[in-house]
Amino acid sequence: MKLFSSYNRILSIITLTGLLVIGFLFYQTLGGYINKQIDDHLFEELLEVQDFAHVKNILPSPDGFDDVVVEYKKINKLQDKRRLFADTNFYNPKKKHQESARYLKTELILNGQPYEVMIVASKFERQEQIKSIILIILIPVIVLLLILWLVNRILIKRMWLPFRQLLTNIKAFNINQEKVFEPIQTNIEEFKALNKAVLDVSLKVKSDYKEIKLFTENASHEMMTPLAVINSKLDTLLQSNTLGKEQSEILADLYKATSKLTKLNQSLLLLVKIDNNQLQDKEEIDLRALIEEKLNYFQEFIQKRNLQVQINLDTFSITANRSLIEILINNLLSNAIRHNYDGGSIRITLTSDKLVFCNTGTQGKLHPAKIFERFYKDNTSEGTGLGLAILKQVCLRQNYELIYNYHRDYHQFSINFNSL
Amino acid sequence: MKFLIVEDEEGLSKSISLYLTGEGNICDHAATYEQGYQKLSLYDYDCVLLDLTLPDGEGLQLLKYLKKINKTDGVLIISARNSLDQKIEGLSLGADDYLIKPFHLSELYARIQSIVRRRHFNGNSIIHFNELEIDTTAKETKVNGKTVHLTRKEFDLLLYFIVNKNKVISKAAAVEHIWGDDADMADSFDFIYTHIKNVRKKLTDSGCKDYFQSVYGVGYKFADV
Repeated sequence: MKLFSSYNRILSIITLTGLLVIGFLFYQTLGGYINKQIDDHLFEELLEVQDFAHVKNILPSPDGFDDVVVEYKKINKLQDKRRLFADTNFYNPKKKHQESARYLKTELILNGQPYEVMIVASKFERQEQIKSIILIILIPVIVLLLILWLVNRILIKRMWLPFRQLLTNIKAFNINQEKVFEPIQTNIEEFKALNKAVLDVSLKVKSDYKEIKLFTENASHEMMTPLAVINSKLDTLLQSNTLGKEQSEILADLYKATSKLTKLNQSLLLLVKIDNNQLQDKEEIDLRALIEEKLNYFQEFIQKRNLQVQINLDTFSITANRSLIEILINNLLSNAIRHNYDGGSIRITLTSDKLVFCNTGTQGKLHPAKIFERFYKDNTSEGTGLGLAILKQVCLRQNYELIYNYHRDYHQFSINFNSL
Repeated sequence: MKFLIVEDEEGLSKSISLYLTGEGNICDHAATYEQGYQKLSLYDYDCVLLDLTLPDGEGLQLLKYLKKINKTDGVLIISARNSLDQKIEGLSLGADDYLIKPFHLSELYARIQSIVRRRHFNGNSIIHFNELEIDTTAKETKVNGKTVHLTRKEFDLLLYFIVNKNKVISKAAAVEHIWGDDADMADSFDFIYTHIKNVRKKLTDSGCKDYFQSVYGVGYKFADV
């Protein structure tokens, strides 16, 4: 729920209940007050009836008064001298219809006779008055509330505008990009504080990230020189004429390990380089030609493993960094060859927006998210575990969509060039 | 040939000079910018191996100096930084090639010889080895004057072995030379065997002696027994 609706919900519940309660109380008070007025009036009329009877010795006619109707009923004797006020309906002979009314009923002696006297006064006028009063008061109150609500809404929207902007900016913040977090302009203290906090965090994150990258880069670079020494010493050792079978095997293993270490280092450096966006020069690349070139380049590997290659390539060019795209095709193709079994097959399809590499493999379905993680590999793989991570990083850089699928014994890597 | 190795890492420069010395080659060594500066001023070299990061200066400054005093030494940069910008800068300053650490000594030697061949072009583009004749410009191989058809990769492989003759070349070095670093086929070292077998067969079929010798599964040597 949005902050505004949450706030609004509470506010409207309180306002509505308050309005109802106050309205009810107001109506009751007003009604009571009116009743009291009518009752006073009825009592005065009663006194008048008594006076009239006392002076003229006759009962006043039932409709002899202006706005009340008086009824007499002879009774045997006085039983209840209390004055009873109550609401009723009566037929207004002047207006000729039923109206709500209030009456005063009492028993008293008139001209020596006991009578039950009932004086009825119409409440109609007064009720109309109440209605008018309530309307006059209620309508402005409701209008006022509506205006308040509207103003509130606009104000809150405007007040939260910096917050929204801040949120958009936070979302747009990318640790990988050169662009720093964009602070917003606001006069509101709270947002200023939030802005500053986010700015500080973003700067810290950025510098930390940069440091880590720099560390990786430096560490890898520093390792290159000792690796070069090891490599050269191995080459020197290899020239020795006294090399036996056993030493040769040890040397071969050392070569393998050194080569793997070198590859690992190079891959890490490449990842940092892609992260740092150091490969930016773009050019038009004929993908079809590039794939054919790479197939030719790897053809001995393909032949040796007796792999069937089906290609279906449309002519299609993209504008991108050549090194990155070469790495992309290299990785895709070498993966398809390396993780295949002898006599397996590879299918490469290139259409105007998509490149798909399908290959049979020694393994079943791979974890579609994990395979792109750094150093994720199965125990049998002799690779660095960085090939697919590099692939993903390249696609990320170029805004390509990279999807892994497993379908009918085929591992399928598709790259969508127009994903964004 | 006479080489100067400007490299502060002693272990590396020792192995390089050990590999390069012999067969009429002489190696000189400079561990600092200052030493390099002096040696470059005093002597002429066929090729200078130049490390870019020296304890007391930038290798590129040495390269600039070399060009300033109009020396025609070939220059091969050896650097731990695989940076395109640096590569471009080095090459535009007049370096002949750029090799990234770590490298195989056989690769280094092949690059040096390629530089020297280019620098002293007259007649040197053809390499002779007994009955073998290799034209590095036309990429042609002849046995006793008869052309042998080799694929591009087979030719590269043969040339690689011939320029490193009498040296053992590891399978790793051979694979990297033919397929580069980005091949990422580290597990396919044994694969070079098939390739060498093909070259061998084509050469022996044309009447060439078999000069390839296997060294216990770790590498091969091209030598006249």
